[in-house]
Amino acid sequence: MTDDDHLPTYLLAALRMAAGADPVPGRVSAAARAAFALRLPGAVVASPAEVGPGVGARSEGRPVMHRFAADGLILDVEVTVADDRLDVAGQVSPAPGPDARIEVRTPGAGSSRVPSETGHFAVAGLPPGWVSVVCHRPDRAPVATRWLHVRD
Amino acid sequence: MHSEKTFPGLDQAAWEELVTRFDGRMWAVARACGLGPADAADAVQGAWLRMVESLDGIRDPERIGAWLITTTRHEAVRLARRSRGERPAADALPDVPVPDPAASVVDAEFGRRLWLRLDGLAEPCRSLLRLYALNPDAKYAQISMRLGLPMGSIGPTRSRCVSRLRALIEEER
Repeated sequence: MTDDDHLPTYLLAALRMAAGADPVPGRVSAAARAAFALRLPGAVVASPAEVGPGVGARSEGRPVMHRFAADGLILDVEVTVADDRLDVAGQVSPAPGPDARIEVRTPGAGSSRVPSETGHFAVAGLPPGWVSVVCHRPDRAPVATRWLHVRD
Repeated sequence: MHSEKTFPGLDQAAWEELVTRFDGRMWAVARACGLGPADAADAVQGAWLRMVESLDGIRDPERIGAWLITTTRHEAVRLARRSRGERPAADALPDVPVPDPAASVVDAEFGRRLWLRLDGLAEPCRSLLRLYALNPDAKYAQISMRLGLPMGSIGPTRSRCVSRLRALIEEER
């Protein structure tokens, strides 16, 4: 895609800014300011890795799996949205041991879990939107998935 | 090439300064991509989260504004595709983008110059672009009724009108 393809979008955006008819809502600015607290200095960011064919298909209320990999860890993250609630379940492989903590983060809150012996974890009832899973390991850098957008 | 210095002195206050400078531009870009308020809010928040996860790798603070605007456009395009029912393979996440050079036009002062030039456009361009800029949630059907244009021609006409506006601006340079 060339630069020219984006120019109309940006020109329209400039017109809208100058018109002042649609200013950025206060809650959007507040969320932006709050995002700074979500940084994890030194964390290893896990990018999406390939999953098998068909797994990415999704429909209302059915789980979707995402695989992330970094620093020798694989994080399989399964997300389900139903009734405007987000449930996250998954597995860290190889299992990180009882001293590790799995944190499932949304911009507004985080929930920590001790993974099972097999590396499984689950957090239910989160608000839909952006979510990230972090594996905190003793004596090693945390591994965080890239932020994932999940809505119906 | 990027310089090798890492992001200097980024604390909460510096971050909030970035928010003040750029969140209005990011919002305008998400809306200009055709997103409604809820999706636009998600796209803007997504761009800030991409910045949070990319902080260790940001090498060029000078271009952070263009990076934020470009990232907002990427996230907005992904959300727009999804709301149309398209599903990119395995929800492919974009890599950290290279800033679009055109991102610098997203500026209220430049927008005011565009408005002055808009009056020099013939119809239906003048009315169509005014309508788009002033009514962010305008639907094709409403525009079609107000301007007496066939619904199917709104998209192509808008592209043509933006191209004309752009040609006028380039003459000015």
